[in-house]
Amino acid sequence: MEARRTKNIAALVWFVGLILAWECGAWVLQNVMHDSMHMQKLPYFHQVAGTFLVNFNSLLASAMVTLSRAFIGFILGAVVGVAVAIVMSLAKFVGKMLFPYLIISQMIPVLALAPIVYSIVKSQDAARIMLSAFITFFPVAVNMYSGLKSVDKDKIELVYSYTATKIDTYCKLMIPAALPHLFSGLKLSAPAAITAAILVEMLGTKEGIGIKILNSLYYGANGALIFWASVIMAALLGIFGYAVIAFIEKLVVHWEKGDREEGVS
Amino acid sequence: MQRSGNLVNGIIAVMFGILFIFCWQVGGFHVLLQLKPYQLPLPTDIAGALYSNFDVVMENTKFTMCEALVGIFLGSILGFMFAMLTAIFPKWGSGGLTLVTAFNAVPMIAMAPIMNNWFGMGMSSKIAVVTMFSMAPMAINTYRGLTVLKPFTLDLLNSYAADKKTIFLKLRLPNSVPNVLTALKINTTIGLMAAICSEFFTSYHGIGFELSTVLKLSQMSLGWAYIVAAALCGILMYGVVSLVEYYALKWHTSQQ
Repeated sequence: MEARRTKNIAALVWFVGLILAWECGAWVLQNVMHDSMHMQKLPYFHQVAGTFLVNFNSLLASAMVTLSRAFIGFILGAVVGVAVAIVMSLAKFVGKMLFPYLIISQMIPVLALAPIVYSIVKSQDAARIMLSAFITFFPVAVNMYSGLKSVDKDKIELVYSYTATKIDTYCKLMIPAALPHLFSGLKLSAPAAITAAILVEMLGTKEGIGIKILNSLYYGANGALIFWASVIMAALLGIFGYAVIAFIEKLVVHWEKGDREEGVS
Repeated sequence: MQRSGNLVNGIIAVMFGILFIFCWQVGGFHVLLQLKPYQLPLPTDIAGALYSNFDVVMENTKFTMCEALVGIFLGSILGFMFAMLTAIFPKWGSGGLTLVTAFNAVPMIAMAPIMNNWFGMGMSSKIAVVTMFSMAPMAINTYRGLTVLKPFTLDLLNSYAADKKTIFLKLRLPNSVPNVLTALKINTTIGLMAAICSEFFTSYHGIGFELSTVLKLSQMSLGWAYIVAAALCGILMYGVVSLVEYYALKWHTSQQ
């Protein structure tokens, strides 16, 4: 408990230190180096924070548009990913068939597909949802599958000796045992799904935080503050996505203690 | 026994891949998803586009690979140093690591325009984005490798009255090698992604720029050709790190 508190205090000190460094950096840029682009490069933190607060409602509205699309895509991708992983572990043949491709999917820059998806699906919402789902699918499927694979052989044999049905085996042993792995995958993909939604928005949609970032770029120094505020909103969205999954993980996987390897990807 | 099993698995997987491409070629996906060939080009068209534009594709691929490699290199070194400092001064470092974890969740494309303001439209702004996003995975993984030690190893060294420096050099550092390599594998993908995504908006060269340009001109097959090039780059980098891992970790249990 004590260690946790010192850690939190240290994080707070780091955070305050970073903000101070930001302010100093902005001051140096403006008053020592006389950079003509100082507003775009690094405006004062207090100005950005002020703009953030003043425009909070409109920023939040845009962020909610992004978040809702990313969320639908995330759920879609996660459900399909878990389903595919379970089918792969149930039917060994399918598992052998798909596994190499799941591994390869981790090596491929999937986000690069954004313009392709956008040009195939002309609808803005569908493109955001599809790319978010697509990005979510791979880490979830890979981690869930490796979770199902890593269940103790002895436990499976024990349950088998009880003549448990397949459904019981999966509901009571396999899926709970794979949950920690599943959450590793979900924690990776939650911020990624949001990134995907923002990326599609930056390719051209009507609303959302991504297009707010892009639009404010056109106004140069005048738009700089709102630009930085939008970027901060986007950053908070990503952190929020991660934090929600981490919170749910704590509620659901309370039996898991100690260090465990983070999921691959 | 094991080996022949692997061979069978490999054949099954390759067969599936061939079947997949065959379905694509004869238009199975077009019927299924109700797409026209100009929306989803056929594999032969993609191969043709790749073949006839090979030089341009290669040139842009090289550009993007340069950005990704330099960025991954810089970011990994910074992340590694951060992890070392954190392990040496755990009290303050772990708090910093919390911030790094949080930073890792920041959408990378939001940083691309900022870096563009700082470093201009050239290669360096993309390198900066890649650097930023390869730092966190390396820092987090290396820190775990430096601190999560096998049971009793630390006790053993303590019983030898080993000083901190010896423990660090002889125990913690070697213990972190598998984690460093894992982080490098993660970074190859992240780095490539960050490079391509930042090119979408602020560049005149590279896979990302070309991809978004040719798609605007409705040259779908060429766009897919760039995707193929990007995928091959990813597989290549990942493969190289895996190879290094295989030879560097022969002593490690995960390889036996």
